[in-house]
Amino acid sequence: MTVVRVDPARGLALCARQDGARETVETALVEPVAPGDRLLVHAGTALAQLEPVPAVAP
Amino acid sequence: MKFVDEFRDAELGRAVAMEIMSLVEPGRHYKLMEVCGGHTHSIYKYGIDDLLPANVELVHGPGCPVCVIPMGRVDDGIAIAHRDGVIFTCFGDMMRVPGSNGSLLDAKAAGADIRMVYSPLDALRIAKQNPDREVVFFAIGFETTAPSTALTLKRARAERLTNFSVMCSHVTIVPPLRALLESPDLRLDGFIGPGHVSTVVGARPFQFIPADYGRPVVIAGFEPLDILQAIEMILRQLAAGRCEVENQYKRVVPYEGNLRALEVMAEVFELRPHFEWRGLGFISHSGLKLSHSYADLDAEVRFSVPGVRVADPKACQCGEVLKGVIKPWECKVFGTACTPERPIGTCMVSSEGACAAYYNFGRFAREREVV
Repeated sequence: MTVVRVDPARGLALCARQDGARETVETALVEPVAPGDRLLVHAGTALAQLEPVPAVAP
Repeated sequence: MKFVDEFRDAELGRAVAMEIMSLVEPGRHYKLMEVCGGHTHSIYKYGIDDLLPANVELVHGPGCPVCVIPMGRVDDGIAIAHRDGVIFTCFGDMMRVPGSNGSLLDAKAAGADIRMVYSPLDALRIAKQNPDREVVFFAIGFETTAPSTALTLKRARAERLTNFSVMCSHVTIVPPLRALLESPDLRLDGFIGPGHVSTVVGARPFQFIPADYGRPVVIAGFEPLDILQAIEMILRQLAAGRCEVENQYKRVVPYEGNLRALEVMAEVFELRPHFEWRGLGFISHSGLKLSHSYADLDAEVRFSVPGVRVADPKACQCGEVLKGVIKPWECKVFGTACTPERPIGTCMVSSEGACAAYYNFGRFAREREVV
């Protein structure tokens, strides 16, 4: 999911899914986050920030 | 889309499949277990097993959170849901899991106030909106979901909510893997490690697999190329006589996991002496309950539950499917008495269950083969 808006005081962020649907996400485990960051979200909680690693042929 | 499209590249997929072809020794049979239900789902959805040589067999593991919940726990949840004034909340898949006398969905039809939520945070919101009702969240899942429950409990404590509690059925991944490795039924050559659980626990907890059992583990992502590459990495280890824990899913999984998540879990949960797994029986130190300091938010303390152990229906072979001893289609009731619409066993309920994944995607390929 992509971070749209951050509410650091409450440890929450408004995030958008690929289909555009928006959801409030708990960010305590990956803070600090900023708008535009890509998060791995599970059951409403962000578990990791995605880092770009290219897919490479062996 | 970034992080997705490049891992579904068909040309790269074929290149990795060719590499796999070159790594297998003819005459040797390779049995690799994908631990996580998310992998099982992807394997059937993208037909990954069709790209593998005939002597590389994928065996489905016990990593589907819904599949491992025993019938007795469902009955306990239903007993709480029927109490006056209770709003019982759970994930959607969990509502369809059969107990000994129907599912939570059946209990809802019979009048219990049972609501589907996407996260424990949703359940907390319902508690705030209904201060005169008791709101219970049925928490299930591995280490991937447990941090979310833990953070919600901390929030409930900070906001002094007294009408919220959790029926904790979280489980941990390592004990069932050890049980499988000890099992005489199954000889495995390597493991595709669970990507999202590893985001939380890291790679370290899987070190016992190469160290104690001499089997390689490759932690993998969930796109087709991730899984193919993990298989290639396992076969490369086997060909070179190596065995270690490798991480294919580096874009998400750090070696040490998410330390903040582990910290919050350690504060809120403690290990149960033993926990019953559907089909696998009791496994020591494999389940989580709320720690002493959060006992006032423990639904099993707040409400008395029957806590009766209920045997699986005789026809159901979920246990053997969960242990990878049989394939979904080898179960006596697969696709006949047991379907995703009317499941008898849990593996047919969740989209991560091997039976549901195979029923929805894989069976068509197999039917073509049979014809």
